[in-house]
Amino acid sequence: MWLAYALLLPSLIFLAAFTYWPILRSIWFSLHDVLLGDPDIYWLGAENYLRLLEDRLFWKVLGNTAFYTMITIPLSIVVALLLAVALDSKLRGMAIYRSAFFYPVMIPSVAAGMVWVFLYAPGYGPINEALTAVGLPRLDWLYDSTWALPAIMIMAVWKYSGYFMLILLAALKLVPSDLYEAARLDGVSGWQRLLHITIPLVSPTLYFVIIIGTLHSYQIFDYVYVMTQGGPADSTNVLTFYIYQNGFQYQDIGYASALANVLLVFVLGLIGLVAMTLGRKVHYLGER
Amino acid sequence: MKSTISNLTRRRLLASGLAAPFVSAMPGVLTPARANETVKLQFMYPVGVSGDINTIISNMIAEFNATHDGIEVEAIYAGSYDNTEQKVITALGVGEPPALWLPINSSLQTFLGLDALEDITEQAKADDIYDDFIGGFLDTAVSEDRLYGLSFQPSTPVLYYNKDAYAEAGIEKAPETWDELFQAAKALTVRDGDALKRWGLIIGGGWHDWMFEGYCRQNGLVPWEADKVLWDRPESVEALEFWKAMVDAGCMAPASTWQGSANDFMAGSTAMLYHSTGSLTNLRTSSPFEVGVAFMPKRKQFGASQGGGPIMIAKNQSDAKKEASWTFARWMTNTENQAAWSRATGYLAVRKSSWEQPEMVEYLKEVPQAEVAMKQSEFSGAFLQVPAYSRARDTLKSAIDRTLAGEVAPEAALKDATAEVNREIARVMRRRG
Repeated sequence: MWLAYALLLPSLIFLAAFTYWPILRSIWFSLHDVLLGDPDIYWLGAENYLRLLEDRLFWKVLGNTAFYTMITIPLSIVVALLLAVALDSKLRGMAIYRSAFFYPVMIPSVAAGMVWVFLYAPGYGPINEALTAVGLPRLDWLYDSTWALPAIMIMAVWKYSGYFMLILLAALKLVPSDLYEAARLDGVSGWQRLLHITIPLVSPTLYFVIIIGTLHSYQIFDYVYVMTQGGPADSTNVLTFYIYQNGFQYQDIGYASALANVLLVFVLGLIGLVAMTLGRKVHYLGER
Repeated sequence: MKSTISNLTRRRLLASGLAAPFVSAMPGVLTPARANETVKLQFMYPVGVSGDINTIISNMIAEFNATHDGIEVEAIYAGSYDNTEQKVITALGVGEPPALWLPINSSLQTFLGLDALEDITEQAKADDIYDDFIGGFLDTAVSEDRLYGLSFQPSTPVLYYNKDAYAEAGIEKAPETWDELFQAAKALTVRDGDALKRWGLIIGGGWHDWMFEGYCRQNGLVPWEADKVLWDRPESVEALEFWKAMVDAGCMAPASTWQGSANDFMAGSTAMLYHSTGSLTNLRTSSPFEVGVAFMPKRKQFGASQGGGPIMIAKNQSDAKKEASWTFARWMTNTENQAAWSRATGYLAVRKSSWEQPEMVEYLKEVPQAEVAMKQSEFSGAFLQVPAYSRARDTLKSAIDRTLAGEVAPEAALKDATAEVNREIARVMRRRG
């Protein structure tokens, strides 16, 4: 008993210091007028939360964050699953392909952001050159309030799919191959094999990937910071970036704390939703 | 007169490297800390323009350290103006500010609100600061008649233009009025079918609110007072309507970035550019064509807001550090250094005496473009010195961006932004009682 607590203690200390204490503190701060750089704080009650209601930008930011999450996670997981299935074979040189698709994960996100700023450049960017080559219209991408957020989302899919792919690939290796053989003998098509054998059997991993993806998706601060600073016209401003702006640029720690608490509820709600719906459909091999 | 002579002597003595005992005996120069103890100073600075500012600053600091026994300045490059300000504020929050920093002049009220700044009025009066600094530049660090910084890199936006593009389009001189600017931008825009080959005009993004304040001034309005912004006034609405008209006519880019717009100009992707005069040397020497520089065109009058900033000294530090900080700030803004800094970057030298230096006179003959911003500064004032200026800037930029993207009408955008920002200013001022 004591041993168990003693073993838990180190991680508990870190969790308390870097997670639970800051959460409590941000709840406390959200009820005050707190100016970064000034030790004095003043009680406000619910004012910071009431400000949220009349803050036009907050609602836009919330919408942007939801849009980003709802599209990016499913898309990158579908891409990852297809890649994993395609790369789960014993062909020669497969390791090279796998490395190639995993490689974006290893690039630091700031460096990747800078590279994509160049790729998206309206004048000389390779993406616009490619669009022209196949007869499509050129876009202003990061300079266009319609396309800036989708541009970041495309990049995020590129960046994260490889990571999800690697995890799914490991799960695929554990699917018993005799199931596929039996299916093949019964004349089941490849698409049906994917739908009825592969997906159910990797569903615990898939579930894990969805949760991780949800957590990743609200941490996109770095791309927004490097690529657009939330612009143009606030079209790429997301909750994490807005919290940063309020807390560090505007010194408004009270309001930033209120926003952070909204984010906490948003993420918990989303994960709760995933757990209640998809979580129930997860099939564990050898489940009693 | 007296101050000029002592100034010259002091400089020569400093250069000799043996000056410490003499300098400390001279009036108006504070005693450096005891010679056997090195005072270490941290100096946080941003890079706010296009060009290799980092190398230039590092060289200046190295020279200062080599010539000043007993003081060692550590230069910390802190990113953009915003980044620099955040780093300083965070450091203030934990009670360990850098000794000096270089923020945008608009942040004066923000730092005063934190009681972070050393009042240097008396030192400056005892020295030649009030005589030799150009008044308009010094004013940007003044609040209620007290001085809180030494202007180091004042700037205004100027109109850069590609002379080759002008010749191609048959334009003989730079536009002087908004109408002429519009005509020129139309004539300079090049399209190949639907594809744009060259913009007529780009207004440097990220600081377009700074340029916008210039437009308000050109239309006869200083769009802020000590405790509120006035962007909903007709003069300001007209300015935004003018921008919208240029965007709708397809001759001005609806959005851009600060470094990106400078690169676009050098690459010939835009024929005209509004950018800081601090980018002059880089744009002039890195562009493969001849670069023209002109006043920002006027409507009712010429007008510009000053960018750049003063070197500020932290209040919360030891007296020895404060004295050493003053020595450093004074050195960075002395006649020779300001003249050299101005030539290397395009920022405006803050001292009258810098502009009279033989090297400077020679340089201005060679590069008459360098004088444009100086002449324009006669029509300039401080930039948005209100509490909560940072949120104010972002709110205005968002209003401008959404207008130019066609999401909202100019007047509605500016009305909302004004109401929103004035509410925030009132909130910040409530803290101060």
